[in-house]
Amino acid sequence: MAIAATLFAASCGGSSSSSGSSASSESIRGQTITVLVPYAMPQKLLNQFTAETGVKVNYVVTGWDATHNKLLVANEANTYIADVAEFDWSFTGQFAGAGWVEPLDNLLSAKTLADLKNTDAAFVSGGKTYAACYSNDFRVSMYNKKMFAKAGITAFPATFDELATDVQKLKSSGVQYPLAIPMAATEGGVTPWYLLTLAMGGQLFDSQNNPVFSDPNSAGYKALQWEVDAVKNGWVSPGSVAMDDSVALNKFTAGENAILLATGPGNMPTANDPSQSSIAGDAQIGLVPGNTGPGGSFGLPEGLSIPVTAKHKAAAAAFIEWWERPENAIAIYKTQGSLPCGASSLKQLSDTGQLQGGDVINQELPHVGPLFPGGAPLWYAQFSSDAQGLLNAAAKGQMSVSDALNQLSTKTAARN
Amino acid sequence: MPKPWNRRGGDRTARETQILGWLFVIPSLIAVAALVLYPMAHGWWQSMNSGGFLFGEKPGYVGLRNYRDVINDPVSREAMAHTLWYVLLAVSLELVLGILVAVTLHRVFRGRGFVLAVLILPWALPSVVSGVLWKRVFDPDNGLLNSLLMQLHVINQPHVWLAAGRGPIVYITLVHVWGVLPLVSLIFLAGLQSIPDEVYSASAVDGAGPWRQFRHITLPLLRPSMAIALTVGTLLAISIFDEIYVLNGTALNTRSILIQVYNTTFAQADFAHGTALAFLLAAITAVLGALYAIALRRSTV
Repeated sequence: MAIAATLFAASCGGSSSSSGSSASSESIRGQTITVLVPYAMPQKLLNQFTAETGVKVNYVVTGWDATHNKLLVANEANTYIADVAEFDWSFTGQFAGAGWVEPLDNLLSAKTLADLKNTDAAFVSGGKTYAACYSNDFRVSMYNKKMFAKAGITAFPATFDELATDVQKLKSSGVQYPLAIPMAATEGGVTPWYLLTLAMGGQLFDSQNNPVFSDPNSAGYKALQWEVDAVKNGWVSPGSVAMDDSVALNKFTAGENAILLATGPGNMPTANDPSQSSIAGDAQIGLVPGNTGPGGSFGLPEGLSIPVTAKHKAAAAAFIEWWERPENAIAIYKTQGSLPCGASSLKQLSDTGQLQGGDVINQELPHVGPLFPGGAPLWYAQFSSDAQGLLNAAAKGQMSVSDALNQLSTKTAARN
Repeated sequence: MPKPWNRRGGDRTARETQILGWLFVIPSLIAVAALVLYPMAHGWWQSMNSGGFLFGEKPGYVGLRNYRDVINDPVSREAMAHTLWYVLLAVSLELVLGILVAVTLHRVFRGRGFVLAVLILPWALPSVVSGVLWKRVFDPDNGLLNSLLMQLHVINQPHVWLAAGRGPIVYITLVHVWGVLPLVSLIFLAGLQSIPDEVYSASAVDGAGPWRQFRHITLPLLRPSMAIALTVGTLLAISIFDEIYVLNGTALNTRSILIQVYNTTFAQADFAHGTALAFLLAAITAVLGALYAIALRRSTV
């Protein structure tokens, strides 16, 4: 089987057991590092790191938006917040430009950096790598095969027309709200719009990062109109307008919806884990629908960084090295849902048949592109924040699609 | 005429007292300077400078540009209008209901202590917790309110209570009032208890009924309490944040000015405009506070 790993990386080294920071193994013993990441980690795994290195971990979990805001405040104030911190693809321009994070080129081993090379492009600025990718995230769709079977649907829809037909079949079979699409005024509430725009064959920005979504014929405009219609037509629950991505996943795994239109492939283990999901065994990955066949998608990888204010940088680097080791990255994937980034981790996942939905992921990858082909602009945080409010207002019917996108376009153009 | 050595001794004592006074005050002054004055001065300076390299701008002094920007920003103006609604609705409801509750509780009845204890409960809850509780009520998909109204066949499909129109501001105000009403009621109750019974007895002898007593005795003598309740209620309403954030996030239709400050400063990383907006809010709050202080002074002199 053609495996995702082969697409991700040319270099497929075997399982690495090198910590990459052997020089620090003794000097870091007894230190305590703080790790600020928006996703939980089993204590058992953290204990393994402590047993191995003698470094204790204060693992702090807050939501993605809260993590972003905490990092901004601490960095702006030049105060310590963590030794290892979340680093989203959208942070690169601002955080690297402001000198808030350490380049990892000399802190991580060459082996680890090489293993991550194909997924770290989003974290490179000025030729330096500012984060080590830990969540190989891109958007795919997920569906409940049991609900599909009950509705007489044999395959996940490949086009939006087929999706419309299948939604009606699902409704007829008793699924009140077949689709789960988060539309709250949060970061997770705007990513479905990004996805739908690409899936409908368009882009949000041109090569100069000028907005191209206010024209009614543009994919961005059609995508938002599609979301608004999904609310009006009862394809999604009325509460979608106040729902963020984590709630959407919870509702899907609770069996309330048949299709989670935009999610990360790393959520598959969660959706099929009986201890976390009531639809375990029924969750399947589907290719994002498009106009005439599978549509475009985009990557939003997340990485681990070391803030310049970190107190224990060597220990932080050792933690990142430990996380990226295939056995740990795979264990984290299974429990936390972050699809690994390292080529060797992906290869091992595929070779051992542990990559859930691997075939579909493999098919989706050629359709995955960046949201900003020229790299995330400095104003991404402002754009995203504006989009959250305006798209949510359109979804609620408080504002027309045209007004919302015109306002967003005007604001964005003024910043570009 | 005191002897010279006495005067010198007196001067020394006065000087020592003065030094001692300064020694006592200096730690507080340092704390205030470090925790209040310096952050304010830094914030003010930040509000007068460009956003800088975070937005690809040349760092530097821009005068009042950031203030002009936020005043001209339609979202900030809308947030200001929402805040005005929150204040007007919340303060009106708190005053009316607060007096009603206080008058009721002023009477001695069986179980009054229990009612007082229950009354204080919403005030004791952190506003985030009360927001979470009310979220369960307003949730469109699994909320208590929709479920109740659907069971009673008042509505036949779930209603999104915090979606559009003026309704969401009213509902969030009600949640806020639910939390603040106990405090306002206690302020009025304390005011009622300070009115001597003899005043009511004398008016009853003169033929005044309960309504006339309320209009001509209770309300005028409650004016100091009203000024306090008005001040507290306004300051709490103008800084409304938690309830909105928990119930409806940063959605535009319910965004208050403080949410806008938070969003601009932290979500958008735009510290320059965020602090400018914060200083505008502080100025408005200070003006309102001064007006209330004057009213309070007049009502008590």
